[in-house]
Amino acid sequence: MRLHEYEALDIFEQVGIPVPRRGVAGTMHEALQVAGEIGYPVMLKAQVLVGGRGLAGGIKTASTPDELKERAEELLSCEIKGLPVRKILVCEKVEIARELYVGITVDGYSGKPVIVVSTEGGVRIEETAKASPEKIASIHVEPSFGYYPYQARSLLRMLGLKQQLITSWTDVIGKLYNIALRYEALISEINPLVVLPNGGLLAVDAVLEVDDSALSRVRFALPDRVDRIENPLERRGREIGVTYVDLDGDIGLISSGAGLGMASMDIIGERMKPANFLETGGGITADLLYRCMELVMMKPDLRAIFINVYGGINPIHEGAKGVVRYIREHNVKIPIVAKALGNRQEETWEIFQSGGVHVVTEAATERAIDRLYELVGGN
Amino acid sequence: MSILIDDSTRVIVQGITGRIGSTQTHWMLEYGTKVVGGVTPGKGGTTIEGVPVFDSVKEAVQETGANASVFFVPAAFVLDAFLETIDAGVKLIVVVPEHIPVKDVIKMRSYANEKGVFALGPTTPGILVPGKGKMGIMPASLFAPGRVGIISRSGTLSYEFAGILSESNVGQSTVVGMGADPVVLRNLADILELFQEDEGTDAVIVVGEVGGEQEEKAAGFIGRKMTKPVAAYIAGRYSPQGKRMGHAGAIVRGTTGTVAGKQEALSAAGVEVLQSPEHVAEWAKKHNLR
Repeated sequence: MRLHEYEALDIFEQVGIPVPRRGVAGTMHEALQVAGEIGYPVMLKAQVLVGGRGLAGGIKTASTPDELKERAEELLSCEIKGLPVRKILVCEKVEIARELYVGITVDGYSGKPVIVVSTEGGVRIEETAKASPEKIASIHVEPSFGYYPYQARSLLRMLGLKQQLITSWTDVIGKLYNIALRYEALISEINPLVVLPNGGLLAVDAVLEVDDSALSRVRFALPDRVDRIENPLERRGREIGVTYVDLDGDIGLISSGAGLGMASMDIIGERMKPANFLETGGGITADLLYRCMELVMMKPDLRAIFINVYGGINPIHEGAKGVVRYIREHNVKIPIVAKALGNRQEETWEIFQSGGVHVVTEAATERAIDRLYELVGGN
Repeated sequence: MSILIDDSTRVIVQGITGRIGSTQTHWMLEYGTKVVGGVTPGKGGTTIEGVPVFDSVKEAVQETGANASVFFVPAAFVLDAFLETIDAGVKLIVVVPEHIPVKDVIKMRSYANEKGVFALGPTTPGILVPGKGKMGIMPASLFAPGRVGIISRSGTLSYEFAGILSESNVGQSTVVGMGADPVVLRNLADILELFQEDEGTDAVIVVGEVGGEQEEKAAGFIGRKMTKPVAAYIAGRYSPQGKRMGHAGAIVRGTTGTVAGKQEALSAAGVEVLQSPEHVAEWAKKHNLR
């Protein structure tokens, strides 16, 4: 779960990372009040959970109350990459001598935390990583050994920095590492970490993404995670315990695994367009598939539904009962094609067929999509 | 011949008294797997599917001579049970459960490496050797004995590929799910190495997906070390960038991890890249695989 910048800045402040004076505003009047308290000029930053916000016009400055009124209104009524801006962060605008970058993430391949630093922070950090890799340095932390400050010092020395900056930056890295551990963060990042004209450091932005699998044991006061999902269908998916991604096509999809779901989308995408991605994971019951049908059918103008499930850990015969119950209760008219293989497959096929579902018994998903293509009239 | 599981493999099931643990024990026994015991702390002395249940892994190993373990333990208790299993001397561990915190997986992987334990998962369907036995949840009806190895990041897609091959009368030597999480206990290249050395395997299929860099790194290994034919399929071509597709591992990050990037890396290493799963049947025919 990705935290908002203002939430992450609060956490950074608690451990002693220097952060700007700031306040959150949901209206123009609130923004005006916050700016009055901290003094002009101020930065106005849209609080949306998406990367590349600055380049998309989500960050503005205001030097006077009039400018602030205009720009706060503008931000609060706009969308950034399709997401509505409900809150803006108003913070002091500081003079920047230099912009640095520090991020901690998990390197999936080595299975170790990795600390990444750069002397060229800012919105174009990814381009810097590609164009000038010598300006980026990173170090892995051995899980059985842990992090020690000398690792950060040696990392920063590699970038040819002066001792004063090495000392203050090392302090920030240590604190950020503690946050990454305590909040079980998959990403904790400061970009930019600003060097002020007096040589001090300031975390002007904060990114924190908590491992979803660890949420139940990470204790901090945050609103319910479900509320953070803006798309109502995707939010409903989270509520019933499946992964649902809203797409712009008209062929519904229910699959029992992420890989199978992605492959199904790839095959559908050759000739038609998927309306959604839906993956149940290993928890299929009759009720769950009933609710999955309900969710997939919420999408208007659906032309057909494809169900692709395997009976490994999942009792697919139970799932089929839920699908058929939904079809009967709601008198579903659009064609539904099911490929269901594995444990108790014959029983599953019979249940599906009793509800008018077109069952395909071949192993390749392509054959099922051929059938579906025929049923929707070949276009 | 096969990899990881053979006639000497004696399996214990951890979390055997749970709903999934007991059901899957039934299927594993029915497939001929030597399931010799189960472990659930506090349920020792009972039996499940005729298999004795023990309170600790150490006791289970001492009483049954078990050398392998498959996990159906709730995610929150996996780290603890995993460390216990390593300390009891078990050398092969399959971690089926999903939603295990990454921080725990990092510790598990580090300790397994230190103690020379081969572990798979989390979020893996396990290992299946057609006609011999299985550790995990793979549905037996889709597999047939033969000489093609399959490694898959996705559980369900390992079934899909085995099913398509079996339907074309091409059997499998061993099918391995490596796990779908952002950090897994063993990397793709480690499993490829076992297939390269296995006398019972003539060719290998890699089933990957968008996200991470397992396939790119494996391509390096294939280019340097593999002499057997390798085919690969990468799922996720139409997955919207940056949207989560269920696996935390399946996130597109910059150019690393894209379907096209993986396909290019594999192709450059001499791997035949399949654009759709069913093409695996033609590939097998071309190489006279059985």
